[in-house]
Amino acid sequence: MTVALHPSTFAQTAEMSKRSILALWRQPALVVPSLIFPLFFAALGTSSFSRATSLPGFPAVDSYLDFALAGAVVQGVLFGSTVGATALATDIENGFFDRLLSSPTTRSGIIIGRMAGGMVYGGLQTLFFILILLPFGLSIEGGVGGMLAMAVGGTILALAIGALMCAMAIKTGSSEAVQGAFPLVFIALFFSSAFFPRETMSGIYARLADINPISHLVEGFRDLTIEGLSMSAVLRTILIPLALAAITVTLSLRTLERRLGAR
Amino acid sequence: MSVTTLPIVAEGLQRYFGSGDDEVKAVDGVDLRIEAGEVFGFLGPNGAGKSTTVRMLTTLLSPTGGSARVAGFDVVEQANEVRRNIGVALQDAAIDPLMTGAELLKLQAVLYGLPKNQHASRAGELLERVGLTAAGDRRVGTYSGGMRRRLDLALSLIHEPSVLFLDEPTTGLDPMSRMSLWEEIRRLNNDGTTVLLTTQYLEEADQLAERIAIIDHGVIVRKGRPAELKGEVGSPTLFVTVDDGAVEQATTIVQTFGELRPSPEGALGVGLTDGSSAVSNVVRTLDDAGITVRNLELREPSLDDVFAEATGYRLEGADA
Repeated sequence: MTVALHPSTFAQTAEMSKRSILALWRQPALVVPSLIFPLFFAALGTSSFSRATSLPGFPAVDSYLDFALAGAVVQGVLFGSTVGATALATDIENGFFDRLLSSPTTRSGIIIGRMAGGMVYGGLQTLFFILILLPFGLSIEGGVGGMLAMAVGGTILALAIGALMCAMAIKTGSSEAVQGAFPLVFIALFFSSAFFPRETMSGIYARLADINPISHLVEGFRDLTIEGLSMSAVLRTILIPLALAAITVTLSLRTLERRLGAR
Repeated sequence: MSVTTLPIVAEGLQRYFGSGDDEVKAVDGVDLRIEAGEVFGFLGPNGAGKSTTVRMLTTLLSPTGGSARVAGFDVVEQANEVRRNIGVALQDAAIDPLMTGAELLKLQAVLYGLPKNQHASRAGELLERVGLTAAGDRRVGTYSGGMRRRLDLALSLIHEPSVLFLDEPTTGLDPMSRMSLWEEIRRLNNDGTTVLLTTQYLEEADQLAERIAIIDHGVIVRKGRPAELKGEVGSPTLFVTVDDGAVEQATTIVQTFGELRPSPEGALGVGLTDGSSAVSNVVRTLDDAGITVRNLELREPSLDDVFAEATGYRLEGADA
């Protein structure tokens, strides 16, 4: 050995993050749908549900668009965050994952590095939705601070959902399985207050939406949009995804440990 | 050399998958002692347990039983130290197709903790070494199979490992690419790198390995220098092809010249006890019995025979 080697966890994670961002950049076809569909939903909602805003229980808004933004953002981030997990499953399928695992790299670095592209994308997506909808009448009462809080929330949410999908990728080692499991995440979105306020719901639907963390997350985003910058809204926007991420990252690391032992 | 300083040592290494009636003993008690500076060939068909053994030695899979030390470190207790000291090129040249060769080398340099000021020079050096200088800035997705294998090898050399694992490095390659890879492996070995190579090609094991182990159903059935192993099989094998109707009678006759050996479809194989001089006697005796010999082939002992003798069958597509 001619040189002393000093692998640094930070440098490793940063370099793998660069790789995952590069991968998104080089496959625009993977990301475009997650930019377009949520906008499409928001546009559709705004034109068909404009009178719903006068329903009892609906918050006071200038237009449905202000209400719809939060749902669109969360929906877009959910869409986009599977891209990283699918890439991880592809790494497993083609064996590159084994090359990473056989190097002196921390396991969490491999997972977070692979998620980094999705996280950066989640943050950018959030800002993209806000900026593109502003000329169409969107108003953000929370101002620049609110927008930044939402971007941070979107970034962490991308990690939370991405890591959940990652656990799936590690468990199955199949990119098809990851894509197949995605609708389950989407069901969680529909059983939340992403598209209608909880106040307008009843029965089991309302109870499910009450206990669904996505409801509270969406409402954090929504309060920043409709009501303004408040500590409560910022905390919900950031802490809920953070708590979810803590659970899902742990889950994916556990799954990885089991894979090394059991496969 | 004491056991703890050998580059690769395995004792009773086991790996079982599943449980109960479905339990598969993929590797069932493998012992290995590989000397420093050696090219060791691990020969066996698909599913014999070669890759499972390599995955355990490279810390990608925990053993069910037994123990192994690589580069002086325990593969379970000191996995990270093992990883720092080994180079690994696994089956199918696992490389991200979206990145360029140079980018992958850079990533690898960071993962192994090379000083930053050496990243570019080391990447350039390795690209040149494997003949990919011109393709370094192209995405790997555009590489041919042979180029990918060579890049994969370069990636595993970034930190100048003292122990190198190559899992079927030439499977699926054309003869030219195979030769150039062989040359590179010899060159690395001359520089002092210990190489453990798995292969299903007899010729590859014969050409490259100083010692080989034949593995079948998770168990090592033969181990030694190729020349010694061939010598142990001893007699040459004669393959005789006769008309279908005469096979039974011909079998009885050839058996008088030596023991029957596994043979390709349609032929009879016999190990000639008296050596190759017995060939004319075999033909004459068959002729006297009114049996027409359609084809005749005499083969000096090869690794194929060693393999057949050890396992009871021949490796498909055997070419040596």
